[in-house]
Formats: sequence, C-alpha cells, structure tokens
Amino acid sequence: MQQTKSKKIALLAAGALVSLAISAMPTAARAADPACATAGGVTSCQGATSDGAAYVMQVPANFNGVLMLYSHGYRYPVDIPAGIPVVGGYKVVKIAQQGPDAVVIGTLLKQGYGVAGSAFPIQGWNADAGVKSNVELIGLFRKQFPATTKVAAWGSSLGGFITQALAEKHPELVDAAAPMCPAIGSVEAELTMAGDVLWGMKTFFDPTIKAHNYSAGAAGYAEAMGDLVKVFTVLGKLQAGISSGAWPDSAGPAGTALASIPSRSALLMVGLMAGLPAQSSHFDATSGPGSANTAAYTSFALAASPALAVLENIANAAVLGVMATYDVEQQAGGAVFDNSKTDYSARVESDAAIFNAALSGSDAISGMLAFLNPANPAAPRWSADAAAVTKMRALASHTGKINVPTIALASVADPVTPAGNVQWLADRYAEQYAAQKAAALKEFRTTHEYTAPAKNFLAIWAPTPNTYTKFTATGAPDTTVPGANGTGHCNYTDAQMLAIANLVGTAAKTGVLKSGGPLTTLVRKAGGLSLDPKFRAPLLKFYGE
Amino acid sequence: MFGQRRSKRNIFALATLAAGALAVTALPAQAFNVHTTDGVTPTTIKLGITIPLTGSAAPGYSKIPAAMIAYFNYVNDNGGVNGRKIQLVVKDDAYLPTLAVAKTNELILKDKVFAVIGALGTANHIAVSKSVNLGRRGVPDLFLNTGFSGFADAKKYPTTFSLFPSYVMEAKIMGQYLKDKFPGKKLGLIYQADDFGTDALAGFKQAGTNFAVKVSYASGSQSAQTAAGWVSKLKAAGAEVVVMFGVTTASGAALATSAALGYKAQWILGSVGGDATTLKAVGVPAVVLTGAIGASFLPAPTDTSDPYVAFFQGINTKYNGGAVFDNNVLVAMNTAMMTVQALRAAGANPTQKGLVAALESKGSTFASAGLAPLNYAKGVHVGYNGYWFGSYNSSGELKPIGGDYSVYTTDSGAGAIAKSTYVRPALPANGLPTN
Repeated sequence: MQQTKSKKIALLAAGALVSLAISAMPTAARAADPACATAGGVTSCQGATSDGAAYVMQVPANFNGVLMLYSHGYRYPVDIPAGIPVVGGYKVVKIAQQGPDAVVIGTLLKQGYGVAGSAFPIQGWNADAGVKSNVELIGLFRKQFPATTKVAAWGSSLGGFITQALAEKHPELVDAAAPMCPAIGSVEAELTMAGDVLWGMKTFFDPTIKAHNYSAGAAGYAEAMGDLVKVFTVLGKLQAGISSGAWPDSAGPAGTALASIPSRSALLMVGLMAGLPAQSSHFDATSGPGSANTAAYTSFALAASPALAVLENIANAAVLGVMATYDVEQQAGGAVFDNSKTDYSARVESDAAIFNAALSGSDAISGMLAFLNPANPAAPRWSADAAAVTKMRALASHTGKINVPTIALASVADPVTPAGNVQWLADRYAEQYAAQKAAALKEFRTTHEYTAPAKNFLAIWAPTPNTYTKFTATGAPDTTVPGANGTGHCNYTDAQMLAIANLVGTAAKTGVLKSGGPLTTLVRKAGGLSLDPKFRAPLLKFYGE
Repeated sequence: MFGQRRSKRNIFALATLAAGALAVTALPAQAFNVHTTDGVTPTTIKLGITIPLTGSAAPGYSKIPAAMIAYFNYVNDNGGVNGRKIQLVVKDDAYLPTLAVAKTNELILKDKVFAVIGALGTANHIAVSKSVNLGRRGVPDLFLNTGFSGFADAKKYPTTFSLFPSYVMEAKIMGQYLKDKFPGKKLGLIYQADDFGTDALAGFKQAGTNFAVKVSYASGSQSAQTAAGWVSKLKAAGAEVVVMFGVTTASGAALATSAALGYKAQWILGSVGGDATTLKAVGVPAVVLTGAIGASFLPAPTDTSDPYVAFFQGINTKYNGGAVFDNNVLVAMNTAMMTVQALRAAGANPTQKGLVAALESKGSTFASAGLAPLNYAKGVHVGYNGYWFGSYNSSGELKPIGGDYSVYTTDSGAGAIAKSTYVRPALPANGLPTN
C-alpha cells in the first residue's frame, strides 16, 4: 500500500439533510389565515399550522389543479456549537420548504403545479408531527386554492418517510406519492445502522466515544457534541493512516490486539457490518491512479478505495448517527440501540468474501470478528432500555402498503438512507401485488372476469458509474470534484428530481403510473437513473438479510 | 382503490385469440409480435464474459476471450449453432469485484446477452452473484473459471454451473497424493487467505494431511518481499515438500524467491497457480520450475497425442493468430466447445430457462477435453471432479507422472478418493458438436 496517496478528504457533513433556505417564515407567525401576495404570476402564501409549523404555499396563474406537497429531510434538533468540526455553527431555524431546491420549485410552478411545504412544528425525528402538519396543510391549501383537484406528496430522506406514512395513513388525501432517498420502515431500522457504525468506531478506534445512552438535559447534549468531535477526530486519524495502516492513538485495546492488521481494514469492517456502501461520492472501489496495469492502480482500487469510501460515508452517516441517536433517545427516554445479540460474523459473511483483499485476508477478518465477539470484555455490547424501545416503536412506522401510485427513488450508494430502504418497500409491494393477483384469479373462478391489478409501485435507482474516482497530477485522489451519480445522500440533479416530479404529478392527475415507452424516455432523458426491475439492493442489516 | 386504474381482460377471450392464431401460422413470423429472448436473434446468439484484461491477474487470463472467440468463429464458419452465429461480448473487470459487478450489469442490461460464460475469480463472482443476481434474473451463468465449492449450491445459484473441480476436491486428492508419495516428509503449505484457501484447508483436512507449517497470504499482497517471509517460515519449519495453493503471481513469487534464497524443496503447485506459460511470463525461469509437481483435469496443453489438444492447437493456429498454446487457451477453447453443446442442447429456439434445463439433463454427456467426468444433473451444477498429477520438465511442460494420465476423483465432502475409470467422449468429427 506504499503507493497509496494520502490526501485530506473533505469530510462531508450530511449537508443534504439540512434543508435549504427556500423561504423563511418566523415561527411566531401563527395567523389562522396565511399572508398571501402575488408577484410574477405566482401567488405565494405563508402561515403556520395550528401546531406552529411554518408553511409556504405557491400557485401559478396557470395552476393545473395539482398540488405538489413536499416534505423536507432531517434537520438537527439542537444548535451545534461553532467549535464542532464540519457541522459546527448549525442553528435551529424553522424554515418552511416547498420543494427540494429553487430550480425545481420554479420549474414546477412554470409547469402549472402548485407547491407547498412546511417546516414541521419540531426539528429532529418528527415523522408523526410531519404527517399531522401535512394533513393540515393539504386542507389549508385546498381552502386557499379551491381549484385544487389532486395532491401529489413527495419528499426527501426523512421527508420520504413522512411522505410514505402520509400515503399509508391518509390515502383519501393524496393521489400519488414519491419518497426520494427515503428512510423507510421504522426509525429503529435506521438507528440500528447508525448504532452499528458508532459502536464499531468506539470499539475499534476510540473507547471514549459514548454514542448511546446519552444523559438527559444539558449533560446529554454535551455528551453528543463531544462525540461529534471525537468521531471526526478519529476519522481524521484514520484518513492519515490509510496508506500506512497505522491505528489511531486513541484506539485502546483494539489498537494493540489488532495492530498487525491495517486500520483501513478495520474501518472497512465497520462499514460492512453496518451495511454502509463500499462506494462513496469520490471513491469507486474500481479504479486507481495511473495505468491499470500497475501495482499502484490495483492496490489502490482493491485495498484503499473501499476503505476510503467507507471513511467518506461514515463522515456522512456518523453525524446523523450521533444526532439522531441523541434525538430519539431524548424522545424515548433512554437507550434504544441494542447489539447484545448481533452476530456480526454472519452479517459480513458475503461481503467479507467480496472485500477479502481490502480486509487483509481471512486471518485478519477472523481476528477482527473475534475481537468484536460478545465474549470479549474489551468489546462490550450495548443493551437498550426496554421502556425506551417501546416508546421508539410507538413512533410512526410503515406497513409498506401501497395505497396510491408510488414512485420511490434511491441511490445505490447512499450512505445515510441506503437503497435497502426502497428495496424493503419494493418487497412489501411485491407481496401486496401477489396477493392482489391471487385475489383477482380467485374472483375469476367465480365470475369468469379477470381484472388485472394495476401496478402501483415503481422503484427507480440511481446507479454509480463504473469508475469515477478522480486523481490529481500527482496521483492523489481528488475529492474536490462533485460527488458521482448514485452516491451521497439525496444527491440528485434537478433533471432527476423533475423527472420524479413529472411521474408523481402525472400519476396524481391520471391515477396510474407512467409505463412503457413514455416512462423509459422520461427516465433516459433525466440521465443517471435506472428502471431495472430485477435490481435488488441489500436490505438494511436490521432486517437480517 | 383511490386513483387506481383497473384494466380488465377476459381470459377466455385471450384463449380464443390464441386458438385463432393457430389458423394463421402460415403467415411470416415477422407479422406477429413474437416474444424474444435476450441475446437471441434468428441469426445470432450473444454471450458475455467479464475477465481481467488488465491488472494483476491479466497475465495468462487475458488470453481466454480471444481463444474462446477463435473456437466460436470456427463454429460460425461452419454454420453456427442451429444457423445462429455466436457473438462473445468481452468486458475487462481488472479482477476487481466491484468492477466485475458493473461490467456484468452492462452485459445484461446494455448488451442483453443470452448467457454469461467463463466468469473468473471467486470474490468477483460472489460479488456478481450478490449484486447482479444472475439467478433471480434467470441468466445462465455457465462454466465458471473458479473452483470455489460454494458455487455448487444450486439453490443459492440456480443458473450457475461450475466447470472446474472444487478446490476442496483438488486439496483432497492432493492430500492423498502427498500421503502416497511423500510419507514421513515434513510438509509445508502456502495458501491464499480467502475462500480459495478456505476450500483448500477443508480438503486437506478431509484427506488427513498434516502440515508442519502453513503460511497464508492475503490476496493481492504477494510479492518478492512477502515471498521471502514465506520462505523463511518454511525453512524454519524444515519443510521438505511444499504445496503452493495460490494464484500464479504468488506461485511465481514463491518459486523465484526460493531459488534466489537457495531454499530447496519439492514444490507441488495447485492448478490455479501452475500454468507454466504464465509462470514464465511473471518471471519464473523454466529451470526453477523443473521437477515441480502440478495438477490438472485437462490433458497437458503440449500433449499433441491428445486429439482434443491437437484439434484445439489447429484452431489456435488458424483462428487465434498462433498464440502461445497454454492451459489458459486450452481451458478457453474447451469451455467454448462445451458452450456450443449447451446451446445445441437447448434446442432450435433456445431460452435461458431451456439452457439451464438442458445442461442439467444433458451436460454430463458433453464431449470435452476433460479427463475427469462431468457431473451435471438435476440440482447438480458441478462439472469436473478429478485431477491427475504431473511433473514439469526442463521446458516447463507438465508431463504425467508414470507416463499416463491417472485421474483421481472425489467430491467436496467426505466421499472417498478413487482412481477414475472414466472414458471421455471422443472428439466430435471436425471438432463440431452434433449433439
């Protein structure tokens, strides 16, 4: 690995989770009726729902009757002090958001759609409140704009979770849905991934990381902020040791017991056991610097690139992991992550074969897994608080039932909400469709009339290019270039998001999903998307696949 | 349901239409919207392969596609398969699992191949199986160029057919050979620390082989420097007979470094790392290889008395530019010949499902250069199951010990090791299958 070039990676915060400042609305404004103004042919209204969620509604002069109701993604529930790396200085500001970005919003308005979205009354994991706010917002919109005929719900990340929950619980209010890069299923599934990452980071690289069972009040806040510092500090040390394999000086017992194994292999192991993709925004795990026939190229592609990808992905996932764990624990009143019975060996079985070389071979893999064994006192497992788990499980979750035409979009290497979320939904729909088909055939046996069930679900995937890691003239990986298609969290082009908007808007209008040539053409023109019906993303590790 | 379209079709009406269609069969097929199978047209069958054309594993393996195409071109020049010419789409995976996934996806989604053949590399193909999921797609995955025993699981890999004996089988047979030929000698083993090596350890355990020293290396870590460490351990343990169960670059490093350091042992090379031409290409002088023992399930590529070898050498001269005819070329052409038989067995209008069924029902009868039997059957997707041993002469040719090919067969479990009485089918006339 001597050839591996070390370069400071721009550790990325989960920036896409932090909503864009589309439109500000002071939280103090709680007028029953919104304040509206018309400019440039667009009527814009601002107000607040009964629970204090700021909202924005906009309707163009050529309104086609369809409301595009957008739900934004996860926003940190607390301010983050300026001294915290990468995410420091974040302030809780409840800003309503009626679309993923200004270009998309503007285009939808030009196309005749109405747009709306709220800030939700609280920040953090707020799916229950989000659904409630959206229900109210739909009513407010219809009241303000009586020409409204259809509602298409869409959203990103946690907003995708809220969108699916809304469509499940209130199909009478929405005509089509499009969760994009969504969390799906339950918050428990998402926090399991986060917990696995953080437990792995603590166990291998810094035993002082707390990462669960945060104290109540100010003490817990300080613990969470401290963890952010520690996680980014250790990531920096791991990055510095990618080539040499050196372990961080904070590593503790693992650093001694596993010293003969490169730290990059342990880092990759953490990613694999949590279910993080081994490709990231800038690391493809398929290419290296220079000529493909050199040892430097092969060693980078085979051994360094997957580890760097996990490093970059953890930089994204760890922020959410710490913040969402802290957030949900505060809501639930105790620890919610439990790996006391997790079999990490079984979890990584197939990935360990695929990434055997990057994990430094079977002996190293066995050594790392032995260290993680529950019997090892140097790797204590975490147990959840039963009452807190009960409370967490009472939060909004999905059945996976598809009530309205639904389009789900996922990037195959999303490190925050992996594509397995959409796969879970696709699996539930496959079961639903099979049951509908069986019922139709049963009906046929008595009526001799066969009514084929409509296909109401479409998964669209954003795949990664075959190779995309860029290198500088000196052979170091260049992380200043934009992240590749199919990577990052909710990293979609405007064309891709507008294609989804087109599909969900049309489905709301017509009651059916676009299919055949028109669908293929639309997706092809958007670029970087795949309709492959037989693609299967790995489910989140929570589901034990 | 809210906003849901219910499209109605009357099954009876469809049945009536189908019956009606029978009456118009005299019309040209083009008049109908005929269902097509990916990769099959009235005049062509498109197959695909991913293989390392660049990178650490390219030496040797990069010769495989051209050799396959050479045989296919010969068949095409003689009418193809049921009138269809065979096309082979070749993708370079650089022996990187993630790239193998991407390239296999291309073969299926972009090139729309009928089947994948000769995929190479255990880690690569585990990744492909997991991410591309050929079984779920129903894409035939024929004649894998790896002996990982896990691919024998026909439930997990329903469209995958191995060609090589498993590494477990190889190690079992090798263990028996060690017991018979080198009793009382101190044994050493170098193996790759992955599924390849895990299979080897399982096979040697089955055979009851006791090694005085076992040295593992992580795939990709092999070099002259690391090989010096292996040799040091072997020397320290006093190993007199050393089994090299690794890839060719590891074999090459071990042999060359041993020679340089003056370490003399009886080397026994596994089939993966024992191709003499490739060993020469990675810098091992023939003199270093001389006297080493190797294992194979095909005849020696230099054995022109073997009708298959002689025939393939002719194809190599005419259709492959006279490339150096080594084990890789022989494996490739043999795989191509078996592929042609599989396609023929699938019938005049082949389907992917039909191809899998044909291999299960008729694959064990295919003509092949292999000296061990083919074992394909319903639910059994493992090809060959035996090996013979030979010794490398001063020209680097692997010559059967005792002058003839004594093949021993076994399974990947606790089954016995037996001397084979298998008589392979004769080479089809002009090397053109007629099954």
